[in-house]
Amino acid sequence: MITVRDVTKVFPGGVVALDGFSLDVCRGEVLVIIGPSGSGKSTFLRCLNGLDAIDSGTIIIDGVALDKNEANRLAIRREVGMVFQSFNLFPHLNVEENINLAQQLVQKKKLAEATASTHALLTRVGLLNKANRYPDELSGGQQQRVAIARALALHPKVMLFDEATSALDPEMIGEVLDVMRDLAAEGMTMLVVTHEMGFAREVSDRVVFMDHGRVVEEAASKDFFTKPLHDRTRDFLSQIL
Amino acid sequence: MPATSLKNFFRLTTLRDIGLFLLTLAAFLWLVLRGAEQMGYTWHWQRIPGYLFTLDEDGFSAGPLLQGLGLTLVITSISMLCAGLIGLATALLRLSSSPIGRQLARIYLEISRNTPLLVQIFCFYFIVAPILDIGRMSTAVLALSLFEGAYASEIFRAGIQSIHRGQWEASHSLGLTRWQGYRHVILPQAIRKIMPPLTSQAISLIKDSALVSTIAVYELTMQGRAIIADTYLTFEIWTVVAAIYLVLTLAVSAVAGILKQRLQGVG
Repeated sequence: MITVRDVTKVFPGGVVALDGFSLDVCRGEVLVIIGPSGSGKSTFLRCLNGLDAIDSGTIIIDGVALDKNEANRLAIRREVGMVFQSFNLFPHLNVEENINLAQQLVQKKKLAEATASTHALLTRVGLLNKANRYPDELSGGQQQRVAIARALALHPKVMLFDEATSALDPEMIGEVLDVMRDLAAEGMTMLVVTHEMGFAREVSDRVVFMDHGRVVEEAASKDFFTKPLHDRTRDFLSQIL
Repeated sequence: MPATSLKNFFRLTTLRDIGLFLLTLAAFLWLVLRGAEQMGYTWHWQRIPGYLFTLDEDGFSAGPLLQGLGLTLVITSISMLCAGLIGLATALLRLSSSPIGRQLARIYLEISRNTPLLVQIFCFYFIVAPILDIGRMSTAVLALSLFEGAYASEIFRAGIQSIHRGQWEASHSLGLTRWQGYRHVILPQAIRKIMPPLTSQAISLIKDSALVSTIAVYELTMQGRAIIADTYLTFEIWTVVAAIYLVLTLAVSAVAGILKQRLQGVG
């Protein structure tokens, strides 16, 4: 489904964010990526849908190579949904319009058709009653659930979650994780950067531990937490668990 | 007018301010009248309405000042529209990924903003107009549009750049093209921030349009000069011309204020 080979990304100023990074993800797999801050987790997700350009290496998603070709990049973005730490809802549009927008512009759906599937998505994340509200009238947890619905609107094959719960108050984390859990149960391919170790242990199939832009260790999640192989992984886990 | 601002209107401090304002105005008037008296100037206010309009059996007909105002309105509204388009295009060019486009936009900006408008008008009138074979009126509109467009573009650019990066990332991640992102996500948000500075730019444009009187375009200022050359009604005519400009610019501010409230009411 996703093939990443020897990807390098250097930011202007010389910071190496990804250093020969390679990874394979299967269809329907839920992969959690953890690591200390600055280890390149978010950069990796952002490279996966072309928000950051890679300097070398290859990324192939569902048979399409992410390269300089603008058409390929747009095609991949339409296959890959992304959820951001800071929600990034469009503040000038209400909830319904936020979710309609890409359906109308990218899928060329008629308004009525888009609204129908938007309502189905809102029902799924439990926010149908907020369809006509504006983002700033919603709590953080509600905003993030709308953002997930918005990303799902194009029926992506892969969903990327970039610290989707990090900006939320503790009591709202649960509602967002519930939506993500449902999504995983439906068989969505998911790459999740998170600090929620409970979620990682319970929902993910595999955990990748990153540091300095490389994969330090990857293992099935049941093994990862019980018998980590590397010292650095052990240090990291002991700090956060 | 909402109830709160009505209440504010009658607050004591407001009343005091109005009193002070009237007092200042009276003092100013007294100074002008005394000055005119010392110069031996005789007022001829009764002749002024005739230069504005005449009402006779043929009905209403505009005098030279109102005709000038009409032309000023035409020039400024066309220039405003063109300056807006030029400004937006230049801003998008400056923010584009094309180095040539960015450089071209910068050259235009630097030249436009760092030479006097009056000199630009002369350049267009004496150099560009004969080459392009265009009339005085078109020359005036061209010069004003390009000059104000440069300022408008900086306003657009600042407005667009003030939109959080996350908005671009969200629209990219949804597969929107760059143009769709501008059209549906970035510009609708930027326009609210752009409205106030753009209004003051529009007001500048109205005032700057007086400069095209130098190439004998018969707009408001030129009509005023012509009347004075004929009649020596210097004080009266310039006062009236200034008052007309004031009404015009205040009207633009008021409309912009209403527009801003409308825009902010949406989200």
